[in-house]
Amino acid sequence: MLDLKSVNFDRVLRRYDIQMETKESPEELAARMVPKDPYLRKVVEDVVFMRSKNITEDVGSALKNYSPEEVIEHGLIKGMDVVGELYGRGIYYLPHVMVAAEVMDKGVKLCEFQMKGARETRGKVVMHVAEGDPHDIGKNIAAVLLKSNGYTVVDMGRDVSIQDVITTVENEKPAILTGTALMTTTMSAFPKISERLRERGINIPFICAGGAVNRAYVESYPMGVFAAKAIQGPALANKTMEGYDWRRLRENWDKLTAAKE
Amino acid sequence: MAIKRYTRMEYGSPDEMVFGEARYPVSYGLGQTVGAGVVVPEINFAPRPGAEKNPESLRREYVDYITKDILDRAITLGFPAVQLENEHIFQMVNEPQRYEKPVVAGQKEMMQNYHDEYGIALSIRHTVADPRLAEEGLRVGMDKKHSYPEKCVESIEVAAENGADLLSIESTGGKEVADYAILRQDIRGWLFGIGYLGSIDMAWIWPQIVDIAKKNKVRAGGDTNCAGANTSMFMAGGYLDRDIPRTFAAVTRAIASAKTLVAWECGATGPDKDCGYEGPIVKAIAGKPTAQEGKNCQCAHADLMGNLIAQVCDLWSNESVEYHPEFGGSSVQCWLGSIGYEAALMNMAKQLKQDRLLRDLYMATDRYRSPEAFILAYDNAYKVGQAIVEYGNDIYLRSKAAGMTAARLIEEENKSGKLRLSKHEQDMLRKIITDLSALPEEEGRFQEMCLKAYKDVPLFNPKNYEL
Repeated sequence: MLDLKSVNFDRVLRRYDIQMETKESPEELAARMVPKDPYLRKVVEDVVFMRSKNITEDVGSALKNYSPEEVIEHGLIKGMDVVGELYGRGIYYLPHVMVAAEVMDKGVKLCEFQMKGARETRGKVVMHVAEGDPHDIGKNIAAVLLKSNGYTVVDMGRDVSIQDVITTVENEKPAILTGTALMTTTMSAFPKISERLRERGINIPFICAGGAVNRAYVESYPMGVFAAKAIQGPALANKTMEGYDWRRLRENWDKLTAAKE
Repeated sequence: MAIKRYTRMEYGSPDEMVFGEARYPVSYGLGQTVGAGVVVPEINFAPRPGAEKNPESLRREYVDYITKDILDRAITLGFPAVQLENEHIFQMVNEPQRYEKPVVAGQKEMMQNYHDEYGIALSIRHTVADPRLAEEGLRVGMDKKHSYPEKCVESIEVAAENGADLLSIESTGGKEVADYAILRQDIRGWLFGIGYLGSIDMAWIWPQIVDIAKKNKVRAGGDTNCAGANTSMFMAGGYLDRDIPRTFAAVTRAIASAKTLVAWECGATGPDKDCGYEGPIVKAIAGKPTAQEGKNCQCAHADLMGNLIAQVCDLWSNESVEYHPEFGGSSVQCWLGSIGYEAALMNMAKQLKQDRLLRDLYMATDRYRSPEAFILAYDNAYKVGQAIVEYGNDIYLRSKAAGMTAARLIEEENKSGKLRLSKHEQDMLRKIITDLSALPEEEGRFQEMCLKAYKDVPLFNPKNYEL
């Protein structure tokens, strides 16, 4: 083997990831964002630091002092806000977000148990992977992120037929439909779904994503809104709930997704 | 069919490995020999969306457009040998007689014409789709909804009977657990999914592929852990990505090699699949030819080892490209030019006896670009291979040994060498070593532990693996 001792590898590659690595720790950032109240603070920290074992006890303590809605809003969701900030700054990676979302979900269930009515959802999202396509990891990530942002998710799974998608949308009446596909010949189900929805007078954002899927393709059929990454899902969903239709989502796509790409 | 596990290395040292040469070259197709002194370009393609509208439109896309374009360009540029790879789309496995058969037969007929007219060495790999769904059942008789396991086997038969020279599959066993584990950075779960369950699944599907190949006098090539280790690699991504740390991806790649090896242990001859970046490890163990892809597959994969991964290849691939026009011709023509010229460079290096120098230049260029590239550098790949054969008869222990060896190699180089890691990559590496160290020394205990720990993983059904 060649002797590589004399090689100046800086002339060959540059580690931009290490160059841009932040020195701030999760603890430092969280300390600035968590509430001062000791009960809510513990709940926030449980989510941020993924303390699944503590969340039951700490949510229980918080519920003695606050309503379930307050614990959700100022404890659990606040915790996810901090996690989102940590992810955005490159301190946390995606698995941190996923595990934190599971901790939050556990806490939300405890709160919901004490609520008189059902918890208000931000909106309903029907999700599926195209027919003939078994690749569902992106859809699963997006589902967790949408749930942690307060959305009700109807997860249809993978390899879902066009007809099943249409029937489910008609029955569930979601605010958003999503579809993912890895292959060029399975993503061709998306324009067919769009067409059939239009025939039925349904006009909702149809967020499409996946390995072979690209923005130009998704914007070639009505309702299609492209997502490059699962993490962009909540931002697009939030704008939908603010009243953006699919055309407006497309027009503002660069701005809506810039921070998360 | 008995599975012959590898318990010793086919190469005596890493330096014996070089591109274009394998211990066991393989001949097939129309005058093609792989691993016997030349590197052959392998061009892979995907039809345009909508081409699957009906069997005739799909046949036209694959045969009249894609195959003809490739063969014309191969002759135009003077390439002595080319391999095509057709990675089957869903429709071809779902209705093999209608969609698959005309494509397979049509491609071979056209290749035969070019071979007869120009004497070019040609072959085609058919990589059948693996549509099996864990939630419906991975074995024959289990999937009452789609009959995917039956269709998968039928699809392999249709390919072999109608013109395939080489059979491959990207088997997906264990993916349901690996996907769950990757999102939780759980190396034990990933090892269970791919190293253990995936290996069990391959021991079911690959003897069937080998039998079909023998019956039809074609070759059973090999597998890839595209479904697992490539998921890790793409999520780890490049220097702007933060989905998972690259140290996790590197260790999963090493574990995946213990699974990919199973195809060859079942009697497949190689070459394995291009997207199995674990190829240098399995080639070091088995001496069979490996297909690889890197800098000339940027149409599909932006990996961090574009040069390095060419170091010991026998086929050099573009991974896949959707058929569409480019300034220089169709996409398949342009990317054939790209891989064909790279193969020509390697073959000239062999003629001038500079191949080991070129191998080392490839390797050195990316050796420190990522921890995954580092463990796949041929000297380190060889060490991972040694760890696997030390426990060759035990699919659990060898997977664990592969992962631990890769983790230790990265740790050592990061401490005293030139491999730089981010803080999070270092943290993850420490966690991986701790987690792997805590695993039991016996397969039965590991299985028991994991069946309990992952019983609630969505889609996971132990019956798929006869557990």
